[in-house]
Amino acid sequence: MSAPLLEVRGLARRFGGVAALDDCSLTVRRSTVTGLIGPNGSGKTTLFNVVTGYLRADAGQILLEGRRVARPDPARLYRRGLCRTFQQPRVFADLSVLENLLIASGRRRAALAGPRVRADDRDRAEALLAEFSLAGLADDPAEELSYGQRKLLEFAALLMSSPSLVLLDEPTAGVNPTMVRTMERHIRARHAAGTAFLVVEHDMNLVMRLCDPVVVMAGGRVIAQGPPGDVQADPLVLDAYLGG
Amino acid sequence: MRTAAAIAALSALLAVFPFLATAPWVMTIALFTLMYAALASAWNLVGGYAGYPSLGHAAFFGLGAYTEALWFNHHGIGAGLTPFAVLPLVGLAVAAAGLPVAWIAMRTRADVFAIVTITLLFVAQTLAYNLRGITHGAQGVAMPVPDFAPATFERPFYYAMLALLVLALLLSHAVLRSRLGLALLAIRADEDKARGVGVPVGTAKLGAFALSVGITGMAGGVWAYYLSFIYPQFAVDPLVTVAMVLMVFLGGRGTLWGPVLGAFIVAPAQQYLAYQYGASQLYLLGYAALLVLVMLVLPRGVLPTLGDRYRSRQRRARTLRADVGTGVSADTGGDIAADVAGEQP
Repeated sequence: MSAPLLEVRGLARRFGGVAALDDCSLTVRRSTVTGLIGPNGSGKTTLFNVVTGYLRADAGQILLEGRRVARPDPARLYRRGLCRTFQQPRVFADLSVLENLLIASGRRRAALAGPRVRADDRDRAEALLAEFSLAGLADDPAEELSYGQRKLLEFAALLMSSPSLVLLDEPTAGVNPTMVRTMERHIRARHAAGTAFLVVEHDMNLVMRLCDPVVVMAGGRVIAQGPPGDVQADPLVLDAYLGG
Repeated sequence: MRTAAAIAALSALLAVFPFLATAPWVMTIALFTLMYAALASAWNLVGGYAGYPSLGHAAFFGLGAYTEALWFNHHGIGAGLTPFAVLPLVGLAVAAAGLPVAWIAMRTRADVFAIVTITLLFVAQTLAYNLRGITHGAQGVAMPVPDFAPATFERPFYYAMLALLVLALLLSHAVLRSRLGLALLAIRADEDKARGVGVPVGTAKLGAFALSVGITGMAGGVWAYYLSFIYPQFAVDPLVTVAMVLMVFLGGRGTLWGPVLGAFIVAPAQQYLAYQYGASQLYLLGYAALLVLVMLVLPRGVLPTLGDRYRSRQRRARTLRADVGTGVSADTGGDIAADVAGEQP
């Protein structure tokens, strides 16, 4: 069996006296949509930040496709196929919608001296904008998009790099029910095309119908994982959410 | 088309200017205006596009000045036009010197970056005073005075500064048309997010910084040869930095022509006032007042503000036409449309 797509072992990260991550270990297998749930403050976003190189871990290892990532750096990881969205969607407000995709094409240093828009990048970007129903807005500044559209744009831009694993931080928080269904549809379509996802989400209905397996964190460590039905029935999980 | 014509007209005017205005004091003002336009355009690469407000650029101006002066002192061949020929090498040397500085300074951002770079400026000035073996300290360094005809003495320096301005604009234009330009704008908007979508932010920032200080250093080289005598306090002068920043903010940060516009407004005014009222530093009050005014009235600078106004007017006219066309609120729409039409020149 080939190595899992992402494996973290014994990650620890403290903020002063608070252990945001404490001996946290989990695995994301290929072609899964893995759900990551847990009460507020359980360390989900810290885990995202550490895995994507935005925060240094105090201890532990990160392995991507079986290879240890010695010094995680967001840009390098992106080019290796690991990327993320943010809880509050982050798009480049001054750039146009199309440019937000172009800049995310994951080209290396040497390309900086090349043209601003490469024909192949433009083709990919336009196809993605069409897929996400944003084509009509291609030349508008991203700052004119609604909150939900920004979430879509942020997601669509990541796909420019044909990622193998996308970490989604609350993809449907704060958007209307129609947009929730739109987002779910896009995740499912991309999953069917072979992309794996690790999804932090508070909408339990969505998690239960979209994700398998589901991983539950509390107090900076993983306390349960498995198929959604099993996790839901796990007394440890109920305890973590309801506070025993 | 209209832009191209305007650029052609401006270039032609600047090219023949030395033959229209021959008074040395006018030529002096003109050449300093061109120098500041080049400096402001260079600063804009880092401070405008990348959003890193460097206050240390005068250190690289001084470095270029000293490089040029010392080179010709040590080789003793400074005559006529040769000192201009080595300017590209001066630019490369200054750009190379800027890389390690940027590598350290650009780990900080925004206010902290401004403080780190202004500290660099004072370090450079202190070094210029104290490395007496190289810079002769407060005594300054002399370059041989070129043997240009007195009546047209400024002309070669004028054209050298004009060439630098053209170079700065061409480089800025090339950067904007390249992926580097897109990367810099992304860095300015949200650097952490840019890293998250694979933008090589370190390389992009270093590249912009090297280009920027390279041009700045070359301007310093021309300036040194023009004055033919340089002192630490003028070669590494915080006011040069202040002027660059002020001009870019006035004209419009992150625009191609904004820095040029800003320089064409501020530099002649400053030079003229200095000429009229001697060496008093009264113009500094003018700088301060202008900076406050820009921050209050035109926080984004002249060109972006005008651009916004033009676009919103067009948008209003478009919606009005649409309203009138569909017959919805035709009365009020028509009135406003007439107003809009009346406003347009």
